[in-house]
Amino acid sequence: MRIFAVLLAFTAMICAPAIADEAPLLAPLVKDGKLPPEAERLPKEPRVVTIDESTGRTVGKRGGTINTLMAEQGDLRLMTVYGYARLVSYNSSLEMQPDILLAYENDKNRVFTFHLRPGHKWSDGSPFTAEDFRYQWEDILTDKDMERGGLDTALLVNGKGPKFEVIDDLTVRYTWDEPNPLFLPALAATRPLDIYSASAYLKQFHQKYADPEKLAAEVAKERVKDWTRLQIRKARSYRFENPDLPTLQPWTNRTDPPSNRYVFERNPFYHKVDQTGAQLPYVDQVVINIAESSIIPAKTGSGESDLQERYLSFADYTFLKEGEKRNDYTVRLWTVGKGSAVALYPNLNATDEGWRTLFRDVRFRRALSLGIDRSEINQVLFAGLATEGASTVLPGSPLFRDELGSAYAEFDLDKANALLDEMGLQRGSNGIRQMPDGRPLELVVESTGESSMEADVLELVTSDWKELGIKLLTRTSQRDLFRSRVAAGETNMSVWAGVDNGSPTADFSPSEFVPTDPYQLQWPMWGTYTSSQGTAGQKIDYEPAQKLIELYNKWLTAEDGDDRLKAWEEILDINAQEVFSIGIVTATLVPVVISNKLHNVPAEGISSFDPYGYFAVYEMDAFWMD
Amino acid sequence: MTLPANATPLPHTVSDRPFDPDAIYQFTDAQKALFEASQLRLMWWKFKRHKPALISGIFLAVLYFSILISEILAPYNLETRNSKFIYAPPQSVHLFHNGEFVGPFVYGFDFKLNMDNLKREYVPNPDKVQPIRFFCSGEKYKFWGLIEGSFRLMCPAKNGTLFLMGTDRLGRDVLSRIIYGARISLTIGLLGVGVSLVLGVVIGGLAGYYGGLFDTLSQRLIEVIQSLPSIPLWLALAAILPITWSPIVVYFGITVILGLLDWTGLARTVRSKLLSLREEDYVSAAQVMGANDRRIVFRHLVPGFASHLIATATIAIPTMILGETTLSFLGLGLRPPITSWGVLLTEAQNINAVALYPWLLWPVAPVILVVLAYNFFGDGLRDAADPYK
Repeated sequence: MRIFAVLLAFTAMICAPAIADEAPLLAPLVKDGKLPPEAERLPKEPRVVTIDESTGRTVGKRGGTINTLMAEQGDLRLMTVYGYARLVSYNSSLEMQPDILLAYENDKNRVFTFHLRPGHKWSDGSPFTAEDFRYQWEDILTDKDMERGGLDTALLVNGKGPKFEVIDDLTVRYTWDEPNPLFLPALAATRPLDIYSASAYLKQFHQKYADPEKLAAEVAKERVKDWTRLQIRKARSYRFENPDLPTLQPWTNRTDPPSNRYVFERNPFYHKVDQTGAQLPYVDQVVINIAESSIIPAKTGSGESDLQERYLSFADYTFLKEGEKRNDYTVRLWTVGKGSAVALYPNLNATDEGWRTLFRDVRFRRALSLGIDRSEINQVLFAGLATEGASTVLPGSPLFRDELGSAYAEFDLDKANALLDEMGLQRGSNGIRQMPDGRPLELVVESTGESSMEADVLELVTSDWKELGIKLLTRTSQRDLFRSRVAAGETNMSVWAGVDNGSPTADFSPSEFVPTDPYQLQWPMWGTYTSSQGTAGQKIDYEPAQKLIELYNKWLTAEDGDDRLKAWEEILDINAQEVFSIGIVTATLVPVVISNKLHNVPAEGISSFDPYGYFAVYEMDAFWMD
Repeated sequence: MTLPANATPLPHTVSDRPFDPDAIYQFTDAQKALFEASQLRLMWWKFKRHKPALISGIFLAVLYFSILISEILAPYNLETRNSKFIYAPPQSVHLFHNGEFVGPFVYGFDFKLNMDNLKREYVPNPDKVQPIRFFCSGEKYKFWGLIEGSFRLMCPAKNGTLFLMGTDRLGRDVLSRIIYGARISLTIGLLGVGVSLVLGVVIGGLAGYYGGLFDTLSQRLIEVIQSLPSIPLWLALAAILPITWSPIVVYFGITVILGLLDWTGLARTVRSKLLSLREEDYVSAAQVMGANDRRIVFRHLVPGFASHLIATATIAIPTMILGETTLSFLGLGLRPPITSWGVLLTEAQNINAVALYPWLLWPVAPVILVVLAYNFFGDGLRDAADPYK
């Protein structure tokens, strides 16, 4: 039925006059014969996006430019995030659907069969086929020269990768013996797992296919060590740094870095159309201007950005609102989709034994959480508009229960002090408690110093914890250094946001609540241990964390939704009871500045990197300019 | 005249008539006072005539006195947060209410959160007359961190507020913070300059006076220090200071860092001045008369370039104050909870402060005033140090 509808739309489109319907940017090229007409550029069965006009969105016209501001070249990756063309993708209700794929079959999370769209082309016009999957699998992911550090965890089940088959030119299959529930979410993720690449272009940088002399010349020209580095550099699809690399995203970079202004132009071969058959994206160009992050609010307020959410904070809202009339934009408040806007992470793998012992005592963690006046922080920093509570999933998630959010999140100094007294931490003459080894309880909290909000929260927490007899000191270091210090166990406590995906369903991986990743600030060594299959890091020697791993494995191997839900709930319960991270406020708001000329941007939304990808699930390719 | 026989002494030739030194030229009392005046007195007379310098001097003296009694001057404590008055604008002082004289008072604020733009709006309410109390008992403080007290110069009315320069994002009184900030900002300059002055004069003096190996070594050291790029060096030195040091010790550390890097220029000048001065006749005279080296350097040579030293020092103090501000701004210097003018300004470094909360920029005023005052003061002192010119 669905395919029938697609076919109908397709026939309707073919009958329509071709040139008149071209996007303004492409019309001259088509006229000059440099580009085939739209009907020939689209896949035979394009993905039809039905814009539901009852929700306030409208079918738009094509053309125009979105100007936006970013702080550094690395932010170009946000165009992959915003563009959000994935093999499978989420809609704004986080339901999974095929996107680049025409269809897929999933047999009990073990056998995944992908059907590509016939006639689908890369942005340079070369065909997108099973060969692109085969190239990535055989010549990149499992090539003995190219593979570094093994396969991504989403491709491994019990340390084993899938069996890959090319069924025909448009069909591929991945097969595992055991279920792999991480596979599809990884493909739909904001930072996707790359299982295909533009093979026609990239083969010229691969030893197996390239002329050795030409390859050596390229290696010398790019000043890289060997051809593998060259391949990696040329193939960075997520970072959009190579303007020659073909893409499937709605916009593609036309500017060689480094630059202060990057122009992204529409992909003439994009696979989506709206219900009238017009090829998306509506907007011809996205121009990214690079500016110092601290002046981005000021520039946005003076109307230099048509669509801005990066580098704005809640504190800028009043200022941005003042410029609304003058500069013809509207400021919306979106909800931050992280599990917690600010959370404190005691490092259970700290190398300092005194602190490690304290942190592994649940009474200590609970006391720290009880000793924070969240309501004051909410009033002072968020005008009372945020939600106070522990670090868990957001109230909007189906997994949320009230007792998760309120666990040890009330402000109760007596209870907190009683817990600390019970642990035998005596107060010294100046009111500061002493650690069992006699040192004063001076807790250094590490931060990246990137957000002034974190600093303000810490300042308020400092005065709260003084009442507990704990002295809080802050140290800031640059983000990479911060991460490596935490991972090495050199830090005792750090401050960061809560989990990235604050509103998961039971089908999302609970990995953020389980030691699975070296970047997890509360147990970096255990995370390393799990992610490296036990070859690095430290073995988990703490019972509640072991329990989490067991539950996680249960979730991984669960056959049906109920088992997954049960595992999720237990994981959340343990996290709430054990207070592995101390959440402070959640569901904070963040301003999004939208030009009044730009349509179809939702007034309310969830601002989150993963899985929402900021504008991604709200279909940025269907935004349009007057 | 014939010589007396058998070697009897000659008769005394000194006239025993009374001697009047003023017999030829009669000095007036004023002239006498001038010629008999000590060096210091001469300097003071000269200085007094430089009006901007005098005013600046008094201004600085008042400021330095104020840091002794910051707790009494400030209406609030440094850390007092009024979470009900976040980003409150300055309250202006009135004298008359409805045509009646009340004495200095402020109107209390009515607070409303504008739900449209989430601006905290404070409207002075004419019904809330809050007379400022003087010589009053206000919030409790620990004087110099030691003695408990509550006596203040002025306090808000009971249950009232007194934010003469507004409040910041956590509801802390900006005026009180500036008053407390003066403690750090004004003294960091003195200590830093003290360190660099001592190092500069001693090292430069020794190098200039003795020359030789010590001179060569110290000059090469100066070259090395001067060739190091200053910001990465500050960065490294500031990173060395352990985090667990109390902020006040960190503050001393930063001062010493600033001083340790700043002496090189001064040492060079002292050295070259000494090189030329030690060849002067009066130095040779002193050497012939058997004065030791120390006496020659400090008694005869240093006064020769004291005017230069004074000028350098007074100009170096505002440089130090600005240096502290720069370091703090870069996040390498002082950190909250230590409050200096630099720290206060760092907190005001964003578009919101400029556009919506301009009173957060008030700490600029004392920085400018102090830097200017020091420059005038130094100017006056330099002129005065050479009173015969």
